[in-house]
Amino acid sequence: VSADLSTSVGALALPHPVMNASGTLDALAARAAGLAVDAELALLVTKTVTPLARDGNPAPRVAEVAGGMLNSIGLPNPGLEAFAAMVLPATRALGRPLVVSIGGFEHADYELACRTLDGEQGIAALELNVSCPNVKSGCISIGSEPAETEAVVRLCRAATGLPLWVKLSPNVADPAEIARAAERGGADALVLTNTLRGLAIDHRTLLPLLGGVTGGLSGPALKPVALAAVLACRAACDLPIVGVGGIASGWDALEFLAAGASAVQVGSAAFREPLLARRVREELATLLEERGSVRVSAVKTTTLD
Amino acid sequence: LTRSRVAACEPLGPYLRVRLERTFPPGEPGQFHMLRPLAYDGLLARPLSAVASDEASVTFLIQVRGPALEALARVGAEVEVLGPFGHGFDAGAAGAAPLLVGGGFGVALLAPLSRLLPAAPLLAAFRDAEAARAAELVPAAERELVLAPGNVLDALAPRLAGASCVLAAGPDGLVRAVAAAAAVAGVPCQVALEAPMACGYGACYSCAVSLEGKLVRLCVEGPVVAGDRLAPA
Repeated sequence: VSADLSTSVGALALPHPVMNASGTLDALAARAAGLAVDAELALLVTKTVTPLARDGNPAPRVAEVAGGMLNSIGLPNPGLEAFAAMVLPATRALGRPLVVSIGGFEHADYELACRTLDGEQGIAALELNVSCPNVKSGCISIGSEPAETEAVVRLCRAATGLPLWVKLSPNVADPAEIARAAERGGADALVLTNTLRGLAIDHRTLLPLLGGVTGGLSGPALKPVALAAVLACRAACDLPIVGVGGIASGWDALEFLAAGASAVQVGSAAFREPLLARRVREELATLLEERGSVRVSAVKTTTLD
Repeated sequence: LTRSRVAACEPLGPYLRVRLERTFPPGEPGQFHMLRPLAYDGLLARPLSAVASDEASVTFLIQVRGPALEALARVGAEVEVLGPFGHGFDAGAAGAAPLLVGGGFGVALLAPLSRLLPAAPLLAAFRDAEAARAAELVPAAERELVLAPGNVLDALAPRLAGASCVLAAGPDGLVRAVAAAAAVAGVPCQVALEAPMACGYGACYSCAVSLEGKLVRLCVEGPVVAGDRLAPA
């Protein structure tokens, strides 16, 4: 018996559940380096775009820590206009469905991105990044407050007919409260979770190692935190969930499906293994076959429910 | 992603020369690989440029500063290898009288380039005689090694007049100063830069460097870039 990996996130049908996490893949640069990562993904999630071009945070931007890594990248991107004119057509030409991640510093930034991208071909959904911990305003400040989250999602809902995925932070007391706010605002799906804020100290200088002082923790240490958020949000609302945080194997993906996710994203573990999505997909298929539970869509109903 | 194994590991001054079985292409001079010893349980690989290769092996020079490179410095260690990645030196554009300029540990990057440009002299600066042993990797026949507190820029000045191109690798301050001096002299310059890097293939945006006043990914734009793209140090 071979496993059926097909799944869906709301109305969006996918051939398998594995995609990339926003900000952890430039599919065009990967191609230029000889790596056809895009072909391994159910869909491509772009790096977050903001209304105006950003250079990002000062170096160093990355620090390896026990159980993972910290990043303080700071959303470098060419800005909405250049993204729509150049990055989007070139990425679309790869032939994969796209989820465009949008970020901002005030509500109107998200609304503008939704209006600008609304008529574009090839976009399967917009992912609202209200959880980046590496910018001084907006993003995580919005996604830490239920009322702010609801308001920004509602504004976006009115600005586009595209499905809205909302990517939430684990840096809140109760992710479920934010999830319910996103649902009230009109979200179509949740992405759980972004990174956890962390600090690394340089042993030589005893100063913060990252140029941005703090950074977002990703990798294996994030996985149990993200799993708990998936479980909490699944119980709290009816939105489909895309699980992300420390996924590096078929087992990790299966854990997220069991906790209530409909699909998964791989991020920092793909830095050392560009075709990780293929291995996760293949291992997941094997695990499902071994367990006699051969459909991805059946996993959550045969476990926690 | 390919697997390899550490075939040999020998000290060279304060550094270690790590020879890997050649299960992957060594790349052009100045390109880099991402190496991850399997015994190391951290998340990330480490970017390193090959300094030599033969039919059976590819050699890297390392400076052990933590558990990842410690795990790499063991004969028999299994290693995951990605790459080669990035833009290396363009030896074809070096002209009739190229000049190699290096500093410290980074001089090792000039070793494979020196094999392509055997007539190019080497000018290199080191903190002490032990560190200067890294220059043994570079086969250049004509060589001038400057030890601290000597200044490589003083030694560079008289050599620039006759040079067709400067090809530089080493500490950030040194290569930026060399690029600035070459620019003043009107000599084309290629410079290898370094930056902390999580992926090597453009995905993570960690390896930001300032080129022409903008932060860009070194793995995409470099690691070897035209000297005139650097702001003066």
